Amino acid sequence: MSSLKSILRVFLIFLLAFAIYTIYTGSLTGYDIVTGVLVSIVVSVVFSGMIIKNPLKPLNAIRWFYLITYAILYFTYYETKAHVDVIKRILHPKTPVNPAIIETYYNANSDYAITTIANSITNTPGTVVVEIDETRKAFYIHWIDAKTLDPLEAKREIFESFEKFARRIFD
Amino acid sequence: MKTVEVVVLIILILALALLITVGFEHIMPSTAVRPPAEFYLYATYNPYKLREYTVMSPEAVTAIVWDFRGLDTLFETSVFYLALIAGLALTRRLLSERAEKPGHGLSLIVKTVTRITAPMIIVVGASIALHGHLTPGGGFQGGSVIAVLPMVIIVVFSVSFLIMRGFTTSKMIIMRSLGLFGIGLTAIALFLVSLIQGTHAYVFQNMIKPDAQTSMPIYIAGALISGTLWFFNLFEMFAVAAGFSIAFIVLMLARTLQVEER
Repeated sequence: MSSLKSILRVFLIFLLAFAIYTIYTGSLTGYDIVTGVLVSIVVSVVFSGMIIKNPLKPLNAIRWFYLITYAILYFTYYETKAHVDVIKRILHPKTPVNPAIIETYYNANSDYAITTIANSITNTPGTVVVEIDETRKAFYIHWIDAKTLDPLEAKREIFESFEKFARRIFD
Repeated sequence: MKTVEVVVLIILILALALLITVGFEHIMPSTAVRPPAEFYLYATYNPYKLREYTVMSPEAVTAIVWDFRGLDTLFETSVFYLALIAGLALTRRLLSERAEKPGHGLSLIVKTVTRITAPMIIVVGASIALHGHLTPGGGFQGGSVIAVLPMVIIVVFSVSFLIMRGFTTSKMIIMRSLGLFGIGLTAIALFLVSLIQGTHAYVFQNMIKPDAQTSMPIYIAGALISGTLWFFNLFEMFAVAAGFSIAFIVLMLARTLQVEER
């Protein structure tokens, strides 16, 4: 069973590596396919253990559904909302900022889920994850307008919906 | 004082504007192709009229670098190797490579992102090197891209992490030497073949020449490889990737020891 899993793991990374090789090369002649397959085999054998732990997760359609939903929702709704807020603050003659670094607690287990939450927070203007404490499960977030210093309320304001999606995709 | 500064600044800006306006035609490079470039573009891939001087590669830069001035590139590679030997000699007492505990490195977020990007760096570097005779790029460029990975791992994880994973300098030196050996062998391949056949050939020869009719294979199974160019790019990729890795590891080991001694 474990050997089957590691073969599946190598195969998934092989697909990823070959896709990147093809996209980067920009053509699909016989030469590209042969060299791409050879390079991808080497890369996937070397790196598969480093990237995927459980190969059944990437084969789960429900996770992919949530990933696509989250990507669309994030890049349209959440990004626009955060941008509009920051643009208002920049253009306002008094520059109404109230910056602070706050401590909040996340509730996710896998590395990828934590990274997704942290990068989602950093990518929206106005909030940046400055530091992470894995033992206490804490994010230290620099917030342009610290409405509250309470960890739970700050979490609700900043990243509760990100976390919900990230856990469904990766945990 | 302030008015003087402003006046000087205005004069400078006006002078620069005048210079650009008047000198535009001289400053801006002309879009026309110069005579040497015209010759190289004509000769790089010309199986019809120039069969005895062409390189059979559509990428002019690689054709110049590995064929028209191939010996020059070989010596450049040797200079790089000599620099590495000097670096290794200077830091030889560090190379016991105490693979003790790896350092803390950066945060979990950076580490996770590095783990995903690691295979992509290798794949992109390999693509640049393997298409060096077709598109801009080549062995040195591809090898440099691949060498980004050990650099990133050293910064994000730590140098002991890299060594514990098997990326020791001695293994890198072996890879580097094999790459150089391949380059040397490619350079004299045609000469050795003609020696056996009893015909006439040059060192560093790629395609047929007027008085040397042996040629490296232009196509392998229908794919254009442009003779020696493909082999040079492949071996140079290994040599350069390993060479830069040695340099990064040695530099960071020296720094770690310096911090510990303090």
